[in-house]
Amino acid sequence: MITEAKYHPTAEQLGGFARGTVTAGMNVVISAHVELCKECRGRTISLEAEAAAEMLQSVPETRPQSKDFSGIIDSIVKQPQLQTDEQASDPVTEIHMLEHSVSLPKVLAKVASEGLVWKKLAGGINQASVTLDDQTQCEFLYMKPGSQVPVHKHQGSEVTLVLDGSFSDESGHYKQSDFVVRTASDMHQPASEEGCLCFAVLDSPLTFTKGLARLLNPFIRYRFRRATAAASH
Amino acid sequence: MSSAAKKDMPAVAPRTSAATAAARDPDSDESLLIAIGNHQDRTAFNALFTRFSNKIYAMGMKLTRNDQLSHDLVQEAMLTVWQKAPLYDLDRGTAQSWIFTLTRNRCFDILRKMKRQPATVSADDIWPQEGDGDSQLVHEEVGTMEVEVTKIESFYGDLPAAQRAVIEQIYIHDRTHEEAAAVLDIPLGTLKSRLRLGVGKLRQMVGAEQ
Repeated sequence: MITEAKYHPTAEQLGGFARGTVTAGMNVVISAHVELCKECRGRTISLEAEAAAEMLQSVPETRPQSKDFSGIIDSIVKQPQLQTDEQASDPVTEIHMLEHSVSLPKVLAKVASEGLVWKKLAGGINQASVTLDDQTQCEFLYMKPGSQVPVHKHQGSEVTLVLDGSFSDESGHYKQSDFVVRTASDMHQPASEEGCLCFAVLDSPLTFTKGLARLLNPFIRYRFRRATAAASH
Repeated sequence: MSSAAKKDMPAVAPRTSAATAAARDPDSDESLLIAIGNHQDRTAFNALFTRFSNKIYAMGMKLTRNDQLSHDLVQEAMLTVWQKAPLYDLDRGTAQSWIFTLTRNRCFDILRKMKRQPATVSADDIWPQEGDGDSQLVHEEVGTMEVEVTKIESFYGDLPAAQRAVIEQIYIHDRTHEEAAAVLDIPLGTLKSRLRLGVGKLRQMVGAEQ
């Protein structure tokens, strides 16, 4: 049912996912890929073990000042234990695109369950934006068969996960479960012959290039830099 | 057919040994977790709390740079350890890895709440616990296995010892999952995953034979 992915998150991205140090948007798109990719599931488990050793290493003198922990223990052990993971309830896992429906990775089904508002863009592209945090732009993108995205470039990185169909650009042909990473230096022009549903995360603010909106640019950059600085600590 | 079947089996073997071997030491983190999950052992929980609370606090300080949030994190992470101890799976990693993932997830939720970010997704959506959905499959499928009892018996000896022990408890001694986990001294989560793998392998062996 699922084709094996040829393109995967970078070691840094997957490491950040395992450690929990990347943005919510990036976590979501990596989680969706990991659900579809057995190889990255295995890598994630190893990376979690590494992160555990690093993050939970003994730090001799960072003792919390207040030691009211005995009270905490008493209140915890009064709580009932779970015998099954109640999280198992499944939200809608399908998304309907014109003539056919596509089943989504669980985390994206959750994101989509809030309802998607599709907008038509130029070149046969449909876009449904979702807000997951204040540092990324996240969107479902549907490229109609024969469509082409205008040439663009952006600051930071753009990650695109193929959910259905396929698209191509100068560097390759991408199919379901492929995780395509583009950085600021890449100019690219994606096109889809057969049509394609993707989830994309832009790890940087939009840069407006026309009109009064340009006035916003310094503010956007400033906010973005502060946010990334906070996250990198 | 049988080679394709083999390919589908999860490759858990290399990780299995570390945590399972550690669980033989009664003082290991793994043994404490098993005592907590199988017997609600408060002494074991106290010991585990002492071992991990400072580490979790330090991890909280690294990720949040905030004393109060780090305290909250210790409390929430250790509460989750208590609540989910029965679901811990020895075959998926060490107790330390498991506690780390719970702590990471609670920290993600705490930070999002604090920053008032949209509650569209929670940590449990992003890092789902594997296995539980699959264990329901086992329940659905057991009925169809009874037809093949004699054949299954002949394949039974080929299963890895750990999986055979679990199947023996459930299908021969007719114990509940909870009873079997207590008898074998393994977490309920491990019992379920070994049961799922063992039953899956038996089905594949039977299927390949036909």
